[in-house]
Amino acid sequence: MSIDSKYTHPEVLVTTAWVNEHLKDDDLRIIESNEDILLYETGHLPEAIHIDWLRDLQDQTVRDYIQPEAFATLCSRNGITPETTCVFYGDKSNWWSCYALWVFQLFGHEKVKIMDGGRDKWIAEGRPLTRQVPHPIQTSYPIPAVRRDAEIRAFYEDALAQSQSCLPLIDVRSPSEFKGLVTHMPEYPQEGVLRGGHIPGAKSVPWKDAVNTDATFKNAEELRDIYQKNLGLKPDDEIVVYCRIGERSSHTWFVLNYLLGFKKVRNYDGSWTEWGNRVRAPIEKSV
Amino acid sequence: MSYPSKLTAIIDLFSGLSDAEKRETLIAYADQARLQEPREGERFDLEDVRKDDECTDTVGIHLRLDEGGRAHFRITLGPQVQTLTRAMSSILCKGLEGITPTEVLEIPADFVPKIVGAELVRLRSQTVYYLLTRMKGVAKVWLQRQRAFCPSQESEI
Repeated sequence: MSIDSKYTHPEVLVTTAWVNEHLKDDDLRIIESNEDILLYETGHLPEAIHIDWLRDLQDQTVRDYIQPEAFATLCSRNGITPETTCVFYGDKSNWWSCYALWVFQLFGHEKVKIMDGGRDKWIAEGRPLTRQVPHPIQTSYPIPAVRRDAEIRAFYEDALAQSQSCLPLIDVRSPSEFKGLVTHMPEYPQEGVLRGGHIPGAKSVPWKDAVNTDATFKNAEELRDIYQKNLGLKPDDEIVVYCRIGERSSHTWFVLNYLLGFKKVRNYDGSWTEWGNRVRAPIEKSV
Repeated sequence: MSYPSKLTAIIDLFSGLSDAEKRETLIAYADQARLQEPREGERFDLEDVRKDDECTDTVGIHLRLDEGGRAHFRITLGPQVQTLTRAMSSILCKGLEGITPTEVLEIPADFVPKIVGAELVRLRSQTVYYLLTRMKGVAKVWLQRQRAFCPSQESEI
């Protein structure tokens, strides 16, 4: 399967076959990012490094992302320069690789790609895995001047304003979570949220609608049907996406921003674990 | 309550390891998870195979009691179950090997972070506790059945 050239930015998606041919490229860094904490150690793509969404990308005290200095250190340690193309892949239909890519975008690292289908597709095709951990030559990544929170990240107040202004809010969780029938996502434990439901005015478009059964992204026409034809979104709309902690919504952010070329999409990473616990946050339920 | 001796040995093993060594050892245990599955021809006194809403995949707990009333567990895990949970299935099958169902019920869950380490116990890794809960559930049902069928033997179990 090739990448659909009708995506707005088809260059951000690469096939497993493409990655297989470029494993040893000097200007490329393959990055695995998973939900399963130990999965990388059980076997990963040759030359792939591991970036842990919690340990490496988040502040360990405050619920926030790392600061630019820490991002520069992370990249330097992993042999990444601003010119390095980072190819992300991982488990869970690329939730966490999209999340890692989104965090890299917070720091303005522009050269990013996703391996379509992620880890599962690579394995399903019988491609090689290794337990050998690469040791890239350390680089000196410049400290980014800013973290682009205002551009691609939404906070509680932003999501509230979005709701009050009747601007597009997309809830990418499962329908049961959206309706307030459950306070955990299917097949996962409770993540400590006190109220169920959704942000008033939000529309339910589960992240899963954007992928095929093999975890690859649906083609451009199918995606446009979902988000533009059915939901009525326009490429210039100001859109906020959310889920529970921001990883599934990173996936939808990737779809809207790169595959469909929407220009003003922000990910509300506080998501439902913030909103559903916040005192007096307005909540809507539906059946 | 103190832990069973085999589980204590595993806890002691992990307590002397660095974080990196803990991860390596957990991977080694995860690699052995298949060995804890039921073997051909094995019969069990109680089996509980199900997929709960909060879990990624199916977990099966298979309990056999020997003539001495000692419990022997086997565990089956669906393919989507995380690596840490696979490791814990090996650890629990080995650590609880040969204790009585009553002793299974008394095991506190506070050994998990001692083995896994605080860094790896995350909200989405709670299935490591879930496995022990399921094993206790099977042990409890077995005990209840025994008491229902053989009330006079209650004190012996």
